[in-house]
This record gives sequence, C-alpha cells and structure tokens, in this order.
Amino acid sequence: MVTIILWVLDRLKSLFQGLGADYSQLHAIVQVKLTMDSRRSFVSLGRYGKQSGESSNNFIRILAIYAIIGGLISFAMLGVPPKENLFLPLTLQFSYIMALCAMTLISDFSSVILDSSDNQIILPRPVSSRTLWLARVVHITSYLFAITLSLTVVSIFILASRFGAASALLFLLLSLLSAVLMVFLTNIFYLVLMKFTSEEKLREVINYFQIVMAILFYGSYQVLPRLIGSERLVSEPLAHQGWHYLVPPMWMAGATETFIQPVFDQTHLIFLVLALITPFAGLWFMNRFLTTDFTQKISSIDQDGRTTPSTLTSASAHRQNWVEQVADWFTGNSLERAAFAFTWRITSRDRKFKLKTYPQLGFGLAYVIAISFQGGGLGSGNFFYLFALYFGGIYVMVAQYQLRVSDNYRASWIYGSAPIQEPGSILSGSLKAIIIKLLVPFYALLSSYVLFRYGFDKISDVLLAFSNSLVMLLSAALLSTRTMPFSVEQDAMKQNNTARGLLISLVLAVVGFSHYGLTRIPFGVWVALPLSIALCWYLLQQYKKTAWESIEMA
Amino acid sequence: MNPDPVIQLQNLHKSYGSSLVLKGIDLSVSAGQVVGYIGPNGAGKSTTIKILMGMLPDYSGEAVVLGMDVKTQSIDIKRRVGYVPENAALYDTLTPLEYLQFIGQLYELDLAHIDRKALDLLRLFQLSDHANARMTTFSKGMRQKVLLISGLLHNPDVIFLDEPLSGLDANAVVLVKEIIRQLANDGKTIFYSSHLMDVVEKISDRIIIINQGQVIADGTFAELQHQRPESLEQLFSELTGNEGQTSVAEEFINTLKN
Repeated sequence: MVTIILWVLDRLKSLFQGLGADYSQLHAIVQVKLTMDSRRSFVSLGRYGKQSGESSNNFIRILAIYAIIGGLISFAMLGVPPKENLFLPLTLQFSYIMALCAMTLISDFSSVILDSSDNQIILPRPVSSRTLWLARVVHITSYLFAITLSLTVVSIFILASRFGAASALLFLLLSLLSAVLMVFLTNIFYLVLMKFTSEEKLREVINYFQIVMAILFYGSYQVLPRLIGSERLVSEPLAHQGWHYLVPPMWMAGATETFIQPVFDQTHLIFLVLALITPFAGLWFMNRFLTTDFTQKISSIDQDGRTTPSTLTSASAHRQNWVEQVADWFTGNSLERAAFAFTWRITSRDRKFKLKTYPQLGFGLAYVIAISFQGGGLGSGNFFYLFALYFGGIYVMVAQYQLRVSDNYRASWIYGSAPIQEPGSILSGSLKAIIIKLLVPFYALLSSYVLFRYGFDKISDVLLAFSNSLVMLLSAALLSTRTMPFSVEQDAMKQNNTARGLLISLVLAVVGFSHYGLTRIPFGVWVALPLSIALCWYLLQQYKKTAWESIEMA
Repeated sequence: MNPDPVIQLQNLHKSYGSSLVLKGIDLSVSAGQVVGYIGPNGAGKSTTIKILMGMLPDYSGEAVVLGMDVKTQSIDIKRRVGYVPENAALYDTLTPLEYLQFIGQLYELDLAHIDRKALDLLRLFQLSDHANARMTTFSKGMRQKVLLISGLLHNPDVIFLDEPLSGLDANAVVLVKEIIRQLANDGKTIFYSSHLMDVVEKISDRIIIINQGQVIADGTFAELQHQRPESLEQLFSELTGNEGQTSVAEEFINTLKN
C-alpha cells in the first residue's frame, strides 16, 4: 500500500510544490510515517478488532468490512430507485462517507494530528512548517481515501452500470473531495477547540470528545439500518429548499445528479460549484492561514509538562482526601486501601483507559434504552428488563479486563521489588475501586431506568441482578489469569478475547434465565438475594487470598 | 579568536504563559569553542537551546546564529546546526539505517551518500550488526548512539548536545568525548549541556552557568577557579545557591530514620 500511495504522490509533485512544500522532504516524511504505521500494532485502529502480526493486514480487513457495509447500503439505496429520486439516497451516501471520515479523523487520528514526537524529531531539522503540515495532511488523507474508496467501490460500479462511466467518475471524485472537506472541517474544529481551551486541557477535551464519538459510532450501527429501512425516503423526489445549500452532503448529491439525470438547472449548478470549489478552497485556506498557527499550537502542547506543578491546586488536594475517605469505607487493610486509591486515581487520569472503557458503558446504556423503545419483539416482553440488567454486566467486565492494561506497564516492577505478602489485597482493592467507581453508578443509571419504565416493584430483581453481576465479575476475575493492575502491555491482551466473550455471554444467559425462573416463584427472588450476596462475599474473600503463585508477572 | 561570533544572544527573554523562564540572557560564542552550558533543573538551558534552534519563535530580545536572525531564517539555521536532545524520542519502529535515511532526506542529502555515511558511522559506533534491526529492542546506549549520529549526519557547523553521554558505556563515553574535542579543533562550535560537572569541567573551553533564567558565571574553568579555587561541582552549588548540601543530606538521612 505504501508504494501505491508514494506513486500517486509522485504524480502530484507539482501540486505540492505549488502549495509551497519541499517535495523531497514531504516524500520522506510520508514514506517514514506509512512505514511505521505498517509496523506498529495499530493502536489507533485497535478498537475495530484485535490485530495479529503485521497490522496492515488488519487495516485491509477493516477496509474489506467497510466495502461490504458500503456495498450493502449502496445496493439498497442506489440500485433500485429511478434516477429522478436519487437525490436523497445520494445525500445519505455522502453523509455516510463524511461521517465515517470525520469519526476516523477525530477518534483514531487525533494522535496522528496532534503527534508531538514530531516536535523532537522533525522540528530541529530544516523543514518548514508548511511542509510538515502538508505531510501530515497527506498521511491522514491517504487513509481516508482508502476508507472512502472501499466504502464507495460498489456504488461506483452500480452507478457506472446504470448511468455510465462519467457519472461514476464524478461520484468517485466527489467522494474523495468529501474526505478532503472533512480534513478541513476537522482542522477547523481542532483550532476552535484550541482557542477555547488551554493547551494543556486540549488532550483532555479531545479524549472526552472521542468517547462521545465512539458512543455515537456504536449507536449508529443501531440507527442506520432503521433509517435505510424506511421506504418513504426513496419513493418520492425531493423538492429543493434554501437550507439545502448549507448541507455539504447535499452539494455532493446534487452535483452527482447533474450527470445522472443529466440536468443543468440553476440549483444543480450551484451544488456542483459548491461541491467542487469548497474542498479546494478549504485546502487553500488551511495552507494559507492555518499551517503556522497549527504547528505552533501543537509544539506548545509539549510544554504542558512545565505548567503541571501549578495545577495541583487546593481543590485537587481536597479531592485526594476524598478518595482516601472512600477507600477507607470499602477496604479492609492498608494494602487494599492503597490499591483502591491507586486504581481510582489512575482510572480517572489514564486517557487510554477512559477511551477503552467509557464508550462501552455508554453504549451499554444506549443499547438498552434503544431496544426498550423499539416496541414489539424483545422490548415489550416481561423478560426484557432482566435481559437489560444482565446485558449491562457484559459491558462492566470490559472495565475489569482493561484494568490490567497500561501504557506504563513497565512501572509494574514496583510490585516485584516491594515486599508484598498478600498480593490478593492489591487485586481485591483495585477490583473494589472499579466496582465502586464504574459498576455502581452504571447500575444505578440502568436500574433507575428499569424502575422508572417497568415499575418500582422490580427492585428485588434489580438488587439480585446487581449481586449476580458482581458474582460473575468476581468469577471472571478468579478464572482468568490474574495479573497486577496496570502491568500488562496493550498488545499482549489480544489473545482469546472472543472465546472469553462467548463464555461470559453463555454464563450470563444461564444466570439470567435462572433469575427469570425465580420471578415465577413467589418470593423466589427475595430468597435468592441473600444467597447471591453470600456467594459474592465468599468469592471476594477467595480473590483476596490470591497468592503470588497464581499471579502472572511479566 | 574569530572576531565574528557564531552565536549571539542579547537580552533574551522568554516566558511560558505567565512564568518568565529566561530573564535577559546575553551571550557571544565564537567558532571552535566547546561551551559547557550548565545550570540547575529548570534554569532554562533547554529553552535557550530551543530558541537558538529556531524551535520557539515567540521570544523577545535578539538571537543570531551563524550571522542569521533566528526569527526570520530558522530554516537556513537548522540546515547548519545539529541537535541531540536529551532522552529524545526517535521513531523506534524503524531500523537505524532507515531512520538515518529519513533524517538525511530532511536535510536534502543524496540518498546514496546518506547510506554510505550512515553505515560508516554506525560501524564506528559498533552498531553494524544492528543496522537493520528495529530500534524497539535497542538499549538506551544504542539509541543514544543513533541519536548522536542523526544529529551530526549533515556535518553541522554548530552542535547542541544535551546530556550526550547518557546511557553510553565507558568506551563509548571516551569515544564521544574525543569526537567532541576533534570537532571543536575542526572549527565547529559545540554547545554542551550536562549535569555531570566533572565531564563539563574537562571537556569545555568555556563554562557558562545559568540560574533562574540568568547567566551567573561565564569564563574558562581557570578563570572561574581564579575567583574561587574549587572544583566545578562546588563552584556550581555555591553559585546556584545550593550550598550546605551536607546538611541537607544529613536531614534526608534523619527523615528516613523517622
């Protein structure tokens, strides 16, 4: 893939020179970045799937999935309707491309855009900020183009066979331009973000934004098929309205229509002009005004280490005492207390942990609510609220699973050098922190929704489900290889994930059904509750007794 | 001495946000000197070097390197300046050869020329066997060697070294010191920043001590010694206001005992 991109790049040499970049430097930077990407285990795309070995395969697999999804959508939307009615389906297609590009940019490539290791390596070299910035844009855009192409490949063939090669080519061009437009908008987005937040907060803000985006992304899997399903969308032509000129996907759709119909009235010509001009205008604007500003802003991100001493204000000192207080309530000995507070603090600050965990929890909630509104099928049944309660359990286990992973895994030598007698206390303390910090609020939200929607008499079920979830969480912790918190490298975590997930779902299903059985027996749930709590307590004690022999150290 | 200074700083001020890091640095360095640039942590050493490299354009005062203004001609300066930052990042999924090829290309050197040069330099640093291995597995010393080569590859006229000996084994330390000496004899200017006082004492033609953003001592070691006949280490702690380390050490021990 690297060679193809570089070949294309060579063809565009004069464009980059025209934009004021030093082409040979740009070529070198892009080449090195792509080479590194192909070797690095793709952290940025990691959440799409677990990578094995060379990661470019992984990226290709993602592209294949996109091609299939994109293909299915295209068949549904572009294959059937008559050419007069294609405006809305095309708009949806372009929206889909743009949304995916924007999400990829924000959630996966923030690290690339805001990469500060460049500061140390490239900034001391005679490279102008324009060259560096263009190299970054090229690097990112090459991925976006690959994604866009895989999404649209089927549409292109459909359009070519139905309306001729010219429309298909125009569609292709406009899809790529959509990606360029998204690069522009994301850049603007980051700059605005940097204007309103101090630089040291920027990464934090982006982190939360990524979490929100990830939830939306998962959620859109739910919403999108339903959108496509609505037949009304494609059955009648759309009347053009003034506000359509403000919606970028509509420009692209309108522009494509000019060739498909073909039609060259005023409305469509405006669309065509907007579609062709804006991405280039954006590129020119960025290149003209934003490059120096951007690189300078980014290089100042590095400096936030300098200002951190001042951020330790009295407020955060107060907060720390508060964590100690909570730790006191829930833990037995000092080792456990230390692990509790330690885990609590790290999980609040480690951006990777938050990025891996919070979206899952958010999606768990969103999914339950989405299904319960669906009406018919699962949502209406008596059984559903139980399903929801147990289903949430799966998402909580993600947090427990992530607990052992850290980028700073090397720091875990401390467990080896410290004279720790009962390592189980550390494990239980840190598991308790996760339970109090994530599981309890999550269940509180979930159960208040369930109680609100299905009546307060379900309180016994909520309590039992919570206790059972704890039992399962503890069993999972007991059964999987036990490691100290934050002591494992991210990449080492890939194996047997699916098998574990399947097993957990199976157990959850069994427990859930048993619970359902209990609801049929009068007071069955109330009787089971103390038993479950006792089991939970017993398992926790077992977990706390974990000896060094059963802990895996790196 | 060469009448035209290679590095000239006048009344250099720099602040990060509200905190003033450099409070009026005045410096003039001529070619062929090894300048030991020392100071306590956070004194502003790296900041000065970054400004001289043209990496931090928002300073006030005057900074001229090789007769060029840092603010307006930073690219031209960077072409003739080498920089080896402390504990620097490198793209460690690359091999040393690939990394050096990349760096060389940024200086617009000819690829074949870089290859030959890089291989020779790696050989001299005894990294030939590792020239095509990814640097993820490298020890700190091996990385430091690659960093040193990457900073010197384009044969710069001015060289900024920040803790260049860190992680190197004893043989490599001797080698690098000798390289520094001979570079200076060749007429290169070396700006050497370190916390190892004995090394600075031996290697430098001239020593500049800064503290809290200001130059507090400047001269050859002999000159500095002339005022107070001590080792550089003692001189340093005296000048930077950290005398009585013995009593601090005692207090430290006592605190441990409690």
